[in-house]
Amino acid sequence: MNTPVSARKPYQSKLSRSWWLKHNYYRLYMLREATVLPLLFFIGCLLYGLYCLTQDAAHWQSFQTFMQQGWVIALNLLAFAASLFHAKTFFALFPRVMPLAPAWLMISGQWLATLLVAAGVLLLFGGWL
Amino acid sequence: MTEYQLLIQRYDPEHDNEPRLQRFTVPGDHTTSMLDALLYVQQKLDVTLGLRWSCRMAICGSCGVMVNGIPKLGCKTFLRDYHSEIVIEPLAHFAVEKDLIVDMTQFLAHLSAIKPYLINDYSGTAMHKQTPAQLAKYQQFSNCINCGLCYSACPQFGLNPEFLGPAAITLAQRYNLDSRDNGKAARMPQLNGKNGAWGCTFVGFCSDVCPKQLDPAAAVNQAKVESAKDFIISMFKP
Repeated sequence: MNTPVSARKPYQSKLSRSWWLKHNYYRLYMLREATVLPLLFFIGCLLYGLYCLTQDAAHWQSFQTFMQQGWVIALNLLAFAASLFHAKTFFALFPRVMPLAPAWLMISGQWLATLLVAAGVLLLFGGWL
Repeated sequence: MTEYQLLIQRYDPEHDNEPRLQRFTVPGDHTTSMLDALLYVQQKLDVTLGLRWSCRMAICGSCGVMVNGIPKLGCKTFLRDYHSEIVIEPLAHFAVEKDLIVDMTQFLAHLSAIKPYLINDYSGTAMHKQTPAQLAKYQQFSNCINCGLCYSACPQFGLNPEFLGPAAITLAQRYNLDSRDNGKAARMPQLNGKNGAWGCTFVGFCSDVCPKQLDPAAAVNQAKVESAKDFIISMFKP
């Protein structure tokens, strides 16, 4: 008796490297993840500033000159916009991960806390306190 | 009646080495679903078209296909919402057996791996009572129809088929949150592993495509919180 031969030949496609370009949803996700890149530059600036602070006045002066350059300001503004965008996505996702209160309340609460902390830091380091 | 242009992915394992698209023209009005259109093709134009379907009312979860690249239930998607060519392909990230039929073995293995049943030492015959508040904790996650659309929306599953995936982790959460269940300890090793909840990067598209609005992405990320708690508690256990 002949053994039946299976006609199965499943076709498995591979996910291409450009999978995230194929849909708006994926592009937005990658944008969210990419917000870390300009933030890396900002953290570099911060560390450089701290290093200069531990050195003499000349170092501190050179740090200030560095920070006043147009491209540095532009990159830091980009980092600021990126962190705001990331915060928006994070605040929206948080109530889904930890549903402690109605989503709208948790989202507005997080923005309020951000504003309060930002205002406090500005008052503290802006020399108004 | 309006005429619609369908581009359907065909694959015959006995003759083809890779899939190809075939064009069909089908009539439709405002009530014609994608599944109706596919059945029209099968019954009137090409009897060899292979597809899976059963209930036609979005409860059996059999007729999932990619419509213009987005995972959809054929019976819950309507021609009236499309104004140009409609590309219909089998569910992404699964191996294609024939035309629109995919091999769901891996998906089913992931579902059973998380022990999707009540685990307890309850052996009485009396009713196992549950308050409305206890029911509300897991009810949303219990509406899954195992259609697999979330796996086709999940790039992490596409990159790593060992990843348990949205539906399986949601189902684990569903049982872990059930007051009648004591099986959490048996499920946590699956969720804690690198192919468990931590394989998710919260792309979130799974929740967008879910035909039952389960929000699997929320369930998976709630499972991460549970997994972290489980890890911290285990540090204090002898």
